[in-house]
Amino acid sequence: MKDLDRTIHEPARLRILMILSGVDVADFSFLLETLGLTKGNLSSHMDKLEKAGYVEVIKSFQGKVPHTDFRLTDEGRAALKAYWAEIDAIRKLR
Amino acid sequence: MMQHDHPQDVQDPRQLAKWAARYARSRTIPFLVQWSFIVLLVLVLGGLAQGALYAWRTRQPGLLWVLVAVIFALTVALLWFSIARWGRERIWRISEWYYRKEGYAAFGGGDKAAELRRMRWLTALGVGLMLYHLAGAVLVGTGYLPLQYFQPFSAVYMAPFLAALILVQRLGWWAWIWPGLYVVHAVLVLGGVWRPFPQNWFFMDIVAPMFGYGLISMLVGHIYSRYALKRLKRLARAGLDEGGGGDEGGSGGDHGPRAGAE
Repeated sequence: MKDLDRTIHEPARLRILMILSGVDVADFSFLLETLGLTKGNLSSHMDKLEKAGYVEVIKSFQGKVPHTDFRLTDEGRAALKAYWAEIDAIRKLR
Repeated sequence: MMQHDHPQDVQDPRQLAKWAARYARSRTIPFLVQWSFIVLLVLVLGGLAQGALYAWRTRQPGLLWVLVAVIFALTVALLWFSIARWGRERIWRISEWYYRKEGYAAFGGGDKAAELRRMRWLTALGVGLMLYHLAGAVLVGTGYLPLQYFQPFSAVYMAPFLAALILVQRLGWWAWIWPGLYVVHAVLVLGGVWRPFPQNWFFMDIVAPMFGYGLISMLVGHIYSRYALKRLKRLARAGLDEGGGGDEGGSGGDHGPRAGAE
């Protein structure tokens, strides 16, 4: 059996990816408020997910205020699907 | 490590996608803002039309032309607000002000070019909706269509239009309340069950069902979005350390041996 994807297999990141898989786009405030994480922690997780290519970061300005949206990439969607397939396979072994 | 730290040990995180989608599909504040603006304009237009009718009956051509010009200008403003980017931005800003505490999440979209094409089609259908109702008003005015059947006449276009709107924008189940009630209302009118408004309030026979059922639908959607958000938060926070949620700034937190092959 293959290793689980360590980027995904972390409770907060898994939750972030699952939320993003249910919507087209979500902003930083939404993830922050929904997950109840600190700003630093969420930023750290988003950096990792972006580096892994699982999340696309869309930066813009609303007037003079910077705004950051996140979108799950095709790669992220595929990785999430593979992750759950692995988890289900592990559960069947138990 | 807490026993429920592993995702598979807490409630199924796959539920998060479901509730996130349900929440995003039920954010109805932008629709309520647009609805309020359109209702306000329609009520003003109705009042002006009454005034124009009065001016025509009492033979005051000056007043009549002024009112007709204002009606025309407001109709153009209504169309422009519904279509133009400026109008969308105003709606978006008001909505964002309301949602500022919970942030932004949207459902649908994806392929922007396809979305733009669909929105163009919807805009064209929206213009068709206005023209259809204008034609209906002319038929009523000329006596070809009894006033009491204006709503069923309207439902022939309105219900499929709303259905297309819901499907294209991939709105939640709550959105179907609007065309559903509108069709039921039309059936009740045709069956003679529905009692029309008194003569001086005849315009409410079309305005009340058209916008009233929309309001009901959007309010239900809004209430449902509160519920979905509550469920989503509960699921998202279950098993996460408050504020932490894992490996802040570091590389730890990946579950070591449990993450490996089994």
